[in-house]
Amino acid sequence: MKREDGAEALAVEFREATKRYPGADTDAVHALSLDVPAGDICVLVGPSGCGKTTAMRMVNRMVEITSGDIVVGERSVRERSASELRREIGYVIQETGLFPHRTIADNIATVPQLLGWDRERTHERVDELVELIGLDPTLAARFPAQLSGGQQQRVGVARALAANPGVMLMDEPFGAVDPINRERLQNEFLRLQAELRKTILFVTHDIDEALKMGDRIAVLQEGGHLAQYATPAELLMAPANDFVEDFVGADRALKRLALLRVGDIDLWEAPLAYVGQATAEVRAKLAGAEVPHALLVDSDRRPLGWLSESDLSLDTVPATPDSAPHPLLELDDVMRDALSDLLQAESQYAPVVDGAGKIGGVLSIEIVSEFLNSPGALTDEHAAAERPLT
Amino acid sequence: MSLATPALLPLADAFDSFSGAIEFIFTERETAGGVGGEPVGGLEQIGDLLWTHIEVSALAVALSLAIALPVGLYFGHRGTGELVAVAIGNAGRAIPELALIAFMAAFIGVGLLNVTIALAVLGIPPILTNTFVGVRQVDRGAVEAARGMGMSETEVMRKVELPLAAPTIMSGVRTGAINIVATATIAPLAGVLTLGDLILSRNVVGDDGVIAGAIVVALLALVVELGLSGIQRLVTPKGLKVQRASA
Amino acid sequence: MLAGLPALLPIAQNGDGFVRDPGESGTSCVAENDTVCVGWALDNIDRYVTPTLEHLELVVLSVGFGFVLAFAMALLSHRRRWLVPTFTGATGVIYTIPSVALFLLLLPITGRGTTTAVIALTLYTLQIIYRNIVTGLANVPEAAKDSGRGMGMTDRQLLWKVELPLAVPEIIAGLRIATVSTVAIATLAVFAGAGGLGAEIYNDIDFKTGIVVCGTIAIAMAIAFDALYVGAQRWISPWRKVRPV
Repeated sequence: MKREDGAEALAVEFREATKRYPGADTDAVHALSLDVPAGDICVLVGPSGCGKTTAMRMVNRMVEITSGDIVVGERSVRERSASELRREIGYVIQETGLFPHRTIADNIATVPQLLGWDRERTHERVDELVELIGLDPTLAARFPAQLSGGQQQRVGVARALAANPGVMLMDEPFGAVDPINRERLQNEFLRLQAELRKTILFVTHDIDEALKMGDRIAVLQEGGHLAQYATPAELLMAPANDFVEDFVGADRALKRLALLRVGDIDLWEAPLAYVGQATAEVRAKLAGAEVPHALLVDSDRRPLGWLSESDLSLDTVPATPDSAPHPLLELDDVMRDALSDLLQAESQYAPVVDGAGKIGGVLSIEIVSEFLNSPGALTDEHAAAERPLT
Repeated sequence: MSLATPALLPLADAFDSFSGAIEFIFTERETAGGVGGEPVGGLEQIGDLLWTHIEVSALAVALSLAIALPVGLYFGHRGTGELVAVAIGNAGRAIPELALIAFMAAFIGVGLLNVTIALAVLGIPPILTNTFVGVRQVDRGAVEAARGMGMSETEVMRKVELPLAAPTIMSGVRTGAINIVATATIAPLAGVLTLGDLILSRNVVGDDGVIAGAIVVALLALVVELGLSGIQRLVTPKGLKVQRASA
Repeated sequence: MLAGLPALLPIAQNGDGFVRDPGESGTSCVAENDTVCVGWALDNIDRYVTPTLEHLELVVLSVGFGFVLAFAMALLSHRRRWLVPTFTGATGVIYTIPSVALFLLLLPITGRGTTTAVIALTLYTLQIIYRNIVTGLANVPEAAKDSGRGMGMTDRQLLWKVELPLAVPEIIAGLRIATVSTVAIATLAVFAGAGGLGAEIYNDIDFKTGIVVCGTIAIAMAIAFDALYVGAQRWISPWRKVRPV
């Protein structure tokens, strides 16, 4: 199947873009300047009325710019007629706006039809997209009202991708869906983006969604002022002002943990013990260890449990340890979830295994707080943020 | 009859007809029916016919209300019978007016009572349907709250549903009333001499009389419409007006 | 005054006399005019064909012209909202005027005959059809319009590809009401000098059989049109259940 991935993602540049509605006292968007590199997701986030949706809609001229400019690719958005411009920009809105009177396939085919693609090419493209968004092909002949909310949202995305735009605008696209489906949709979209690498302007009022989805985040204050434009890690570590700090939330330290995986930081080592080993050896290792407990592992270095004092009072290491190796964490676990497990188990240390189940290190709360406060943390978090968290 | 367009009659003739008709309304004149007939025209005759027209229309509207309003309220309140209510509304529109009056006259009899009943047949469907729909459309939350506060079913109907449904009901009353006033024009065919008598007796009252009848009937209908619109506005609870304005 | 005289049995306005032709069967039934002569009616059913066709012609022409006119008005007022109250008011006033009166008021201007009847009947359909087209367009979901524009549709493309198709159910509902009403009102077209089922009744106003036959045909015609519209709506917009009118 021929893939229509040809079109390159375009960069979007706001140059002092301003919008003031006639008769209004203040700007809806005030001299917004920011660069969105091609292939990046830029999330516009802020409270209601901050102008984030207005700013996004200025890119495809659903809202006309009062002063300043917006440049997409190398061209100002004002160069062409609005209709022409919009056919090359994907547009996804919260209510989806699917045409109730057209089938799913026809809905997706809208922009290709407007652009005059021939029927065969359109057909192929529609099939391609239905598969891409993970929709059952038999649904393509149905009408929007017959699909669930989550399915409708996916169709909305497919419809926006149909003509292979260089830029996509998304206004709270997952907002109207329940939290479980929203997470699923977010993850699917991130996977899609990893493949397609479009330039995306994404509007949301939910800071958690912004942190999850954005490569860069623009926090807007009321009156359309840009408060901060930074990566998620920077935003959490160094909020530019009180407003951003409040908006990000009092739990921003914990939010940082959502951006990390257990394997991203340096873990401690626990002395390992094998069944039948002389306990004297084990006790010797314990002497200067980072973790003052011995971990019983099998011949493949898989954790079997923690050895207690009474265990070590024997001559040789017993086969059954006193305490189980719980909670058992994985290198791939999201740090926040891992810490949550640790706290719940009322354990101070948790063994961390790799994909094969072999011991990789030991996690404790101390390690995490040490890491968060270390100067090298920011770089590591940047690196961590590059990887999709699905 | 073909649709070959007749040349538009000279406007001067049209103007003559209308001015003649206006004259007819105000002054008596010789009958066109031949020597020895009673004079026709003039305010008194017009007034009599007008009064009869209003009388039979008003009676018919009252009868329609008496039947349609309670039924509509009851079933609207209960929430059952939507299909029937809507079907009656549709059916009402399909009743051929001339056949109705002729039927009444030929099969049942002439006279005020019979005509009133016939006219009521035209007035009931829109009032019934609109009452039903109006009550159904009342905010369910308000009704629930009213019940929850301890209002009896009758009180709920009277104090909550009726006032809130009033604008829609009035709209139905308007439609019904206009249908009735319009059809009362041919009531003379069944023995009730309304303004239609002028229209139907060209040989007696002449072309001027016929047009005069048409003019007065049209004016009557407009006045009734305006009047009922005004009542509709009065009857709309202020809260609803505010709600609509801010919607 | 006139009230003292017995109600003048109307002599047919168009000057046709009417002879109650008993035909071969049911001679006494028709002559006595006591009841509905079903036998006679069935034997002589052809006499009702022409009036029925005339009636049909009146309805089809009026609703047809009415639709074209109302549609044009709706398109005009779609982007010029200030026209809406004007059009709504004008069509409303016309609708308020009783049909018989309107027929007669037009007579001095357009003369007797089918033309006058069609003009008046057309004017009557305007209020409901216009209102329904406007409401239908107004009920188009805002999100569909926003996304349509956002995808690059021009105003005209939006109107024809999104707004009008979505307004179709409402428009058909309006046509349905207009047609059924017109079938009923057209019985009065006799007063404009046109033919139709009304004329057939009026020409022999106490012929019981005639009244019943003509009335039945008129009602049947209305029901047939109604069913046609319901079917049409289901066929044109399968994405939507037929709503009660």
